[in-house]
Amino acid sequence: MSQKLERLLNLIAALLETPRALSAEEIRARVPGYPDEAGPTFRRAFERDKDDLREMGVPLRVETVPGTDPPQTGYRIPRDEYYLRDPGLEPDELAALHLAASTVGLDGDHGLGGLWKLGGALGGDGGGGEVEPLGRLPADAAVAVAFQAVAERRPLTFRYRGEARTVDPYRLDFQLGRWYLTGFDHLRGEERNFRFDRIEGELAAGRPRAFERPQGAVPGVERASWQLGEGEPVVADLLVDADHAALARHELGEAAVTEERADGSVRFSVGVTNRAGFRAVVLGHLDHAEILGPPELRDDLVAWLRALVAP
Amino acid sequence: MTRLGAGERVQRLLAIVPWIVDHPGSRVDEVCRRFSIDEPDLLKAFDLLPFVGVHPFSPDALIDVVLEDGRVWLHLAEPFGRPLRLTPEESLALVAAGRSVVATPGFDGDGSLARGLAKLARSLGIDDEGAVDVRLADEVAPDLLDRLRGAVRSRQRIRLDYYSYARDEHTRREVDPFQVFADAGRWYLAGHCHRAGGDRVFRVDRIASAEILDVDFEPPAPEARPGTFEPGPDAPRVVLDLGPEARWVAEHYPCDHVEPLDDGRVRVTLAVTARPWLERLLLVLGPDADPVAVDERLGGADVRSEAAARVLRRYGNDGPLR
Repeated sequence: MSQKLERLLNLIAALLETPRALSAEEIRARVPGYPDEAGPTFRRAFERDKDDLREMGVPLRVETVPGTDPPQTGYRIPRDEYYLRDPGLEPDELAALHLAASTVGLDGDHGLGGLWKLGGALGGDGGGGEVEPLGRLPADAAVAVAFQAVAERRPLTFRYRGEARTVDPYRLDFQLGRWYLTGFDHLRGEERNFRFDRIEGELAAGRPRAFERPQGAVPGVERASWQLGEGEPVVADLLVDADHAALARHELGEAAVTEERADGSVRFSVGVTNRAGFRAVVLGHLDHAEILGPPELRDDLVAWLRALVAP
Repeated sequence: MTRLGAGERVQRLLAIVPWIVDHPGSRVDEVCRRFSIDEPDLLKAFDLLPFVGVHPFSPDALIDVVLEDGRVWLHLAEPFGRPLRLTPEESLALVAAGRSVVATPGFDGDGSLARGLAKLARSLGIDDEGAVDVRLADEVAPDLLDRLRGAVRSRQRIRLDYYSYARDEHTRREVDPFQVFADAGRWYLAGHCHRAGGDRVFRVDRIASAEILDVDFEPPAPEARPGTFEPGPDAPRVVLDLGPEARWVAEHYPCDHVEPLDDGRVRVTLAVTARPWLERLLLVLGPDADPVAVDERLGGADVRSEAAARVLRRYGNDGPLR
């Protein structure tokens, strides 16, 4: 194990220090720990080492060794891509990030590796208190690819609802247990939201700095299920009984309240662009809520329910 | 400490070396603590470093390790003088964890996390505050969340006014709170409920009020705490045939059985706590789900029809569709 460790360190040092790409043969000659002779044993070891470097996130460049004819494949690690841009964290800021990463883990536990690079855990006095975990965030490879794409302004291509999309990614949101992507959708010619769990197949990132982010904040996903549709909203007048009023206030927001009646019931005004979403909200209150208007929404719900009553 | 593979050990060493270069004469035990490494492992790595350098490996190109009185110095470690950049996964993990904690009421009192996060984001190229937003869970009243977490910490019983969604009833109960946590976008409180006589999990957004009582308790070990929903073997069951628009039910709720049907629908069997929960589900799904078998305790075969008729009466309309 320590031989492999030593070889990997020497390999990284050699590839970082070289001003030009090194051929596999030069690497074999310069890095101790490889077999003395070129051949399949060396090839296998070198292939494994390259995989290890890539897995660690070491930016390994594959390019032609200058001046070779026929051209020979060479390798190097560009220093400006290898080294961390030190964010210059103060000890208390590093400690706070460490606490956050322990409180909320992202699936895969990559936070710890990142913290090492930023200076490790804070060697506090006595270790501090126990951390009560608050929850875990689900993550898959696509979310990490999209994160890098947001940071480096790389366009993303993927299939969504059966169509090929190219999207300039502006922001990521995690809401109600799901990851969302917001960006400029070239197919539709406007800003759109995408759910990661609905992305079909692979997500591919293009070249960096390929687009400009819009000035100012980009609005994230709209969480309200009754507002997920498109087009002009229909404004619903909803009455909720007293014993469900507190729940409905939480669900629809205080701004939606239009009347507080003496019996404790509350009227709400709700802009609806997604009727199925709104229906689910109303039916969640069973017979403790009633759509007062407009007639089109009221009739909609009545027709929906009448179809469910046994003849 | 956990066993690491060669790649991970290299990664850790690539973080340790620049830190020591930056902090010459650091104590070996502090290095161990910072990077969660055993002292023998760290010393073994120090043994190795003098063989690391660049071609032609003359002494002036090899790393020099000086260990004295429990302190360590590294010389000629230039290629490793700065840490490796963060991978996208590492950046995401830190930014997402940081953003979610910043957005949770009652954390980051002194603002150090927000400051650290802003610096980290800037170094990654995501200057804009709005580029990544993580809401661990739906918003709930901040003082309520604070009070519940306080009761968990001080191990004090609480009295809750709680709306039971499954049973559609308002209840008052005394609970020994074990833990507050987020799962799939919601805040939960796990604890021992004295009214139910067992461990229960409560949705925080359905707690109307919480009062801390002057009663102490001893919480169980974390592994003995209840999860979000664990139907008992005796809980009533329902069998549903789900059309394409209703298939999410099979993924969203724990099902005993999921069976594809010849017509493209799926048949699921799932446990249900109480009748109102099932009524809502059936009314929302509408024609996309057919109840095939319904336990009598949940209202039996006519549960959907009866529920629809009851809601329709509010609209002055109770007949079936003609």
